[in-house]
Amino acid sequence: MARMIRRSVKYPDSTDSYRIGQRPKVRVSIADYGVGNLHSIHKALEIAGARPVIESNMRNLMDADAIVFPGAGIFNNAMKSLDHYRDIIFDRLNAGTPCLGIGTGAQILFETDEYSGTTGIGLIKGSITQFPIGKNPHMGWNVVKSDNRMFEGVKSPFFYFAHSQYYSPKEDVVIGTTDYMGEFPSVIRKKNVFGTQFYPEKSSASGAMFLRNFVKYLEEKL
Amino acid sequence: MALTKRIIPCLDVSDGHVVKGVKFENLEGVGYPPDLAQRYESQGADEIVFLDITASIEARQTLFESVEKTVEKLFIPLTVGGGIRSVEDMRAALKAGADKVSISSAAVQSPDLIDDCVNTFGRQRMMVAIDAKREGDSWIVYTQGGRKNTGIDVISWATEVQDRGAGEILLTSMDADGTTNGYDLELTDSVSEAVSIPVIASGGCGGPEHMYDVFQQTGASAALAASIFHYGAWTVSQVKDYLRDKGVAIR
Repeated sequence: MARMIRRSVKYPDSTDSYRIGQRPKVRVSIADYGVGNLHSIHKALEIAGARPVIESNMRNLMDADAIVFPGAGIFNNAMKSLDHYRDIIFDRLNAGTPCLGIGTGAQILFETDEYSGTTGIGLIKGSITQFPIGKNPHMGWNVVKSDNRMFEGVKSPFFYFAHSQYYSPKEDVVIGTTDYMGEFPSVIRKKNVFGTQFYPEKSSASGAMFLRNFVKYLEEKL
Repeated sequence: MALTKRIIPCLDVSDGHVVKGVKFENLEGVGYPPDLAQRYESQGADEIVFLDITASIEARQTLFESVEKTVEKLFIPLTVGGGIRSVEDMRAALKAGADKVSISSAAVQSPDLIDDCVNTFGRQRMMVAIDAKREGDSWIVYTQGGRKNTGIDVISWATEVQDRGAGEILLTSMDADGTTNGYDLELTDSVSEAVSIPVIASGGCGGPEHMYDVFQQTGASAALAASIFHYGAWTVSQVKDYLRDKGVAIR
C-alpha cells in the first residue's frame, strides 16, 4: 500500500505572480468558522499585499502558511464550530504558524470565556472577561496606545471597536492598550500569534496600515 | 482621550438608489449607495447606515446587492436595516457584508426576535431602531415607517430592548425628522439617561451646531444625518472640524 504523503510543495495557482524579481504574495488562510462577514477582511488583506483565501474546512488549516481568525461572533458559538479542530489549531500555532486573531477570533485563543464558561483553544493563558454593566458594549472609535512595529506608520491612533468582553491574560502578552473608563488590553502578541480587540478591516486607513505591517511581518517570516 | 462621538451618514435606499424623503414622502434620488458610502468614508465618516425604506422582498434583494458592492470598497462599519424580520433575514444581511443589522417593526411585533438575533450573532451586531413621536408629556413608538401608532411608551421600550441584549439604539424623532431644526434633545436625553447602551440620535439635523447640541446636552454616543451630507451643504470633515474646535471628542 502506498504510504500517504502530505503534500509539502505548494503548487502556484493563477493568482500567483510570476514576474521576474517579484516574489509571490504570501498566502493567508481566513478561517470561515461561523457567521462572520469575510468580505472586508479578505479585501483588506488583498490591499495589504497578501493573497487571502477563505478556508471553510478547518482541517485545511494544517497546511496554512498563515492564519487569520476573523471576529464579530460569540465565543461559545465560535468554539462549537472549532471544537473538533482544537488540537490541530493549537499545534499549528504552537509550531510557529503566524496568526492574527480579530475580536472574537483572538478571544478563542485564550483558555476560557468567563461569561459562558466555554473552553477556548488555550494557546494564551488567561480568560475573557465581561465589561461591567453600564459600559457595555464598547462601541466606536478609540485610541490604541502601542509602540509595537505593527503600528509603524499609522497616522491616526483611532481604531474601530464593537465588543462587550475583553482579554484578561495571565501571561505577558499585552502590546497595546485602550482607555475605556480604565485601560484594557486591546492588542496582544504571543510569539507568532497576534490578537486585536479592534477590527483592522473596519478601521479605515489606520487599519489598512496595521494590516500592511502584519503582511510585511509575514513576508519576512515566510 | 477615550471613546469618541460618532458621525454617521445615513443612506435611505430605495430600489438601489439613495433617496432623501421629507417625512417619508416626496422621495428624491440623490445617488448610488457604493459611491456615496465611499465618499463619506474618505471624508472621515465613522460608520454608514443603509436603511431600505421600501422594505419589500424584491427591494431587499436589490439592497443586498448594493451592500455587496459597497463593502468591496468600504473600510468602516456598515449597518443595514429595513424589512429585517427574522434571524434568517439578519443572517442574509450579514452575509451580504453588513457589520450590524437594525430591526424596528419586527422587534415590536415579536420582541423575542431581539434575543434570538443577539444569541445567534452577538449583541454588538444588533441595533434596534425606534421611531418616536411625542404625545403629551411622553413619546410613543411608531412602526411601519411611521404609519402605525403602537401605543407603546418609548422609554419603557428602550429599556426592554436593552434588557433583551441589543447593542445600541437608533432613536429617530418623527417630530424633528425632515425639519432641519435640530435633534429632539429632550427625547434623546430621556432615552440615553434610561439606558446604558449607546444611543444614536437621528432626525432633524440641519448642521453641525445641532450635532454639538446633541452631544453637549444629551448622552448620545453618535449623531446620524442624511440631507446635510447628500446635498453637499456640509462635508463630514467640515462637521468634524467644527465639533473638534468646540472640544467634542471626535476621531
